[in-house]
Order: sequence, then structure tokens, then C-alpha cells
Amino acid sequence: MRWPSLAPSLWIGFTAALLCATYAFLYVPIVHVALASVSTNTMWPYPPRWSTAAYTALIHNRVYLEALMNSAIIGLATAVLSTAFATAAIFGLMRYPGRHRGKLLLLYLAPLFVADIVLGISTMVFTNLFMGIGGNLAVAILANAVRCFTYAFLIIAVQLYRYDWRLNDAAMVFGATPVQAFREVTLPLAAPALFSASLSTFILSFNNLEISFYLLGATPTLPAVAWGTLRYGIRPELFAVTTLINLAVILGFAAILISLKVGRHRRLTQAEEVRGLT
Amino acid sequence: MTLENTDIQVVNAPAARRTGLSRRQIALLMQAPSVALIGMFFVLPILSIIVLAFWRTESYQIIPDFTLSNFSAVLFEGAYLTFFLRSFITAVAVSAVSVILAWPIAYFIVRVSGRWALLLGMLFALPFFTGEVIRLIALQGLLGPVGLINSMMMWMGLQPIRALIFTPIASAIGIFYLYLPTAVTALCLSLVNFDFRLADAARTFGAGPVRTFLEVTWPLNLVGTLVGFILCFVPALSSALAPRFLGGPNGTLFGMSLAQQFGDTGTWSLGAAMGVFLFAATLLMVFMLSRAVNPQRSGFSGGTAEREGR
Repeated sequence: MRWPSLAPSLWIGFTAALLCATYAFLYVPIVHVALASVSTNTMWPYPPRWSTAAYTALIHNRVYLEALMNSAIIGLATAVLSTAFATAAIFGLMRYPGRHRGKLLLLYLAPLFVADIVLGISTMVFTNLFMGIGGNLAVAILANAVRCFTYAFLIIAVQLYRYDWRLNDAAMVFGATPVQAFREVTLPLAAPALFSASLSTFILSFNNLEISFYLLGATPTLPAVAWGTLRYGIRPELFAVTTLINLAVILGFAAILISLKVGRHRRLTQAEEVRGLT
Repeated sequence: MTLENTDIQVVNAPAARRTGLSRRQIALLMQAPSVALIGMFFVLPILSIIVLAFWRTESYQIIPDFTLSNFSAVLFEGAYLTFFLRSFITAVAVSAVSVILAWPIAYFIVRVSGRWALLLGMLFALPFFTGEVIRLIALQGLLGPVGLINSMMMWMGLQPIRALIFTPIASAIGIFYLYLPTAVTALCLSLVNFDFRLADAARTFGAGPVRTFLEVTWPLNLVGTLVGFILCFVPALSSALAPRFLGGPNGTLFGMSLAQQFGDTGTWSLGAAMGVFLFAATLLMVFMLSRAVNPQRSGFSGGTAEREGR
């Protein structure tokens, strides 16, 4: 008779332990490398003998600086393109659902089933062999935009599929133009989704190696330089690059989390206002 | 305020009234950029590797005449088939383990953690965004010959574990590390959209926890589970970086060999055939898994109508 009352808490204990073990598996390497990057005893930094040598080496290496610029350009352009296209596509599908909705969804989600490396080489074959265009930043941006478009599409869709278009109708009944309604009602409510999509796609394309690698020719990006160095063995400045990128991604995710929380709060209060009006 | 703005009919064809475009034209305009992007930089590239796969490469020159030699090389020259089988087994094993682990984890995040669910879920997605190279460097810190685990073993006076680096097992661990977050995220999304009142209803009517899971929760989240499996399987099947860095001399995987055709050896058409082979294998897997779904039991019958009515 005591089993039924004991079983749920056992189960919760077990899954909680599993969760902790998996987090440890994911994050211990990250913390280990971060500690290694700030100490002279890089192999076993427990306790670390503090040093900033790895970061000094990184700053004085001009290749990394140039690569950082290129990665930032790819990231920014890809984020803008993929988020703008995905936003238009989603609002179009939601507001004007037509006969071709299923086919369009299939086309938009299809890139998920093709790995980065196949995307990279096939785009290289297409642009290089069939179009006669050599590797350059623009092609790399467009290929990354394909991959990121799907992610942006999913991120925005997951957050907006419950969006209530009656809010816009209500605004228009009270005299707003459709554009005004979109700008003043839809956009504030969709802002967290758009923000998280653009930041995520920036991070993804910034850190992408396999798509960019085949399309850039000799233009270095940060992951490509790191990969090139890694092939000749692990070096302290790689730990420094890794740590900086991990920190930047953690900060980006914190920003996304805050925007989602603020957005949820705003959505709730706005829904209450509308309810109060009607 | 113009008369147009107060016109109630505007509600049903909002933008149409102002721009003079029909609903169809607006719908078309909103999809056009995305269709053009995916068409130009996804569909055409895939078509072009299919074409190239039937051509020949001779001493770094591409000769456009029809041949099946690339495909016969992939299928009948033992090495490529070995690489493929090795990749396939690794990918299936890694994706299966990821999905099995992802179930209790996602269930806990969605069902138990309450207001922390978003934070806990995002902590899983986060490593995915740092890119493969960065995560492989971090993994080196964990698995490497002088990495965390082996240093700890030696510190405790034990023998270091050789299998941890430069073996197929090491690259499987690496691939697992790379794509576990995808499986967890897919399952979290599936469970977040699952109406747990259905499971509660089954319990109310006397079903035990196991039966409730097998007859309600599992079938209604089967699609999410399979999506998680596929999203893990696709990159795992073609992974090239992890085996190159962790796999050692006997750990060559298909994706790594594919990358070599476009690098040192310059046999592009063979590489294209390998790419087509990978793509076909993925499609076959998706097809077979989608047949496992019984639409009537997966919540597709009337599920959307019910949601829209709410």
C-alpha cells in the first residue's frame, strides 16, 4: 500500500538526478576550458595559477581579429535576412492561409533534413560549377540564411501560433489603419519572438563552420581559424576563443530569456486591457 | 480621420483596401522572398549535386557525360560502404540514446519544474548555439589524453582510459554531446504543446500511470519524439568534424570521407554522389519513421479543429 505514494517522488528524484547529470555532462567541459584559459597550468587547472597569457596571445594575433570581423558580417547579414523573410512568411501564412500552405511549409522545413555539410558542398557545386561564381561572403551569407531561415521560422511560429488576430480587428474597429494596428498591436507583442529569432540566427551563423567553410574561399571566419589551429593540436588561445564565444552566447541567451519574460508579462496585461474594453 | 478608416469592412480585407492589391497578391508578396531564397540556395544546389553525381572527374577536371560509376563506387568499393555503415550505426545509436534520455528530461522540465521550465529548457538549447568547433574544443578538454577525465584518473592513481580519445567510441560520445540538445529541445516543444488534461482524464477513469503513458502520452507525443530522433540522426549521419578530431585512424565516417572528396582528392563528382546518397538515406529514414505514425492515434484527427475552436 505504500508503493503508490512513494513511486512519484522516487520518479521525480530519479529524473532530477538524470537532469543534473546531463547538465554536468554538457557544462563541465565548458567550465573546464574556461578555467584552463585563465591559468598557466592549462592541463589540470585545479586550482588555477591565474594568467592572462592566452588572451594576450589572442589579441595580438591579427588573423583572429580579421576572422572576427568576417564572422560578425556573416552573422548580422544572415540574422537580418532570415528573420525578415521568416517573419513575412509566417504572418503571410497566418493572415492569408491559402491552398498552398502545406506545400510552402514542406519547402520551408525541408532544409532541416539536410546536414550542414551537404548544404555547404551542394551550394558550392551550384554557385561554383553551374553559375561560375567563386566563393565569397555574399554566397556564404545566403547559404547560412537558408539554414537560419528554418530556425527563425520555427522560433517565431512556436511563439506566435496562438496570436489572436481579433486584437488587430479590435484596433481597426476603433479607427486604426491596418498598418497602424500591425505596428502598435502586433509588433510589440511579436517583438520578443523576432528578437529571439534574430539573436539566435546571428549566433548560429556566426559560429557555423561547415556551411561557410566551402563557400568562402580564402576568407577566414572565427570557427574556420579555430578549426585550422585545432588540426595542429590544442593551444591556449583556442581555450580563450572558446571561453569568449561561450560567454557571448550565454549573455545572448540571458537577453532572450529576459525579453521572453517581459513579452509574456506584456501579453497578459494587454489581453486584460482588451478584455476590459469589450 | 478619413472615411476609409472607419469602414468596418476593412476588417476582413485589411491591407487590401489600402494598397489596392488583392489578398492573393499580398499573400504571394509575403511568401516570395522566402520561396526565392529556399529555391535558389536549397532546391537548385540539391538538384546540381544530383546532376554532378552522374558526371565524371578526371585529374581535377569535371567532364559532363553520363556515368553511373560514382554511385557504383559508393555502393561497391568496400571502403565507402564501411564508412556508411559505421556512420549509420553510430547515428542510430546516438539518436536512440538521445531520445531515450530526452524523454524523462523533457518531462521533468515541462511537468515538474514549473516556472523554471523556460530557463531549464534554454540551458539545454544553449550549447547547440556555440557551434561545433567550439564544442569540440571543449570536449577535448574533457576527453583528451590529458583532459579532465584522464587527468582525474591519473590523479587518483588509476590508468587513463584509452578508449576516450581517437576511437570510434570517442567520436560517438562527441556526436552525442553535439546533438543531445536538439533531441531534448524537440521533446520539450512537443510536451509543452501536449494537453496534460488528457492524461489526467485517463487517470480519472482508472488507468494506471503505465497504461496512461502507453495509451495517451506516448502516442500523442510520438511525432515530437520522431522529429527529435530525425533532427539528431541527420547531422549525426553526416558528421565530419567529430570523427576527424576524435575518431582516430579507424574512425573515418561517411561525412568525413565526403568532405575529403571536395578537399585534397578533388573528386567532386564522387563527393556529389556521396552527398546524394546521404540525402536519399535521410529521406528513406524519414519515410520509414513517418509510416510508424498512426495519424488517428497521434492527435491529427480533429486535433486542429478543437484547437482552433478554443
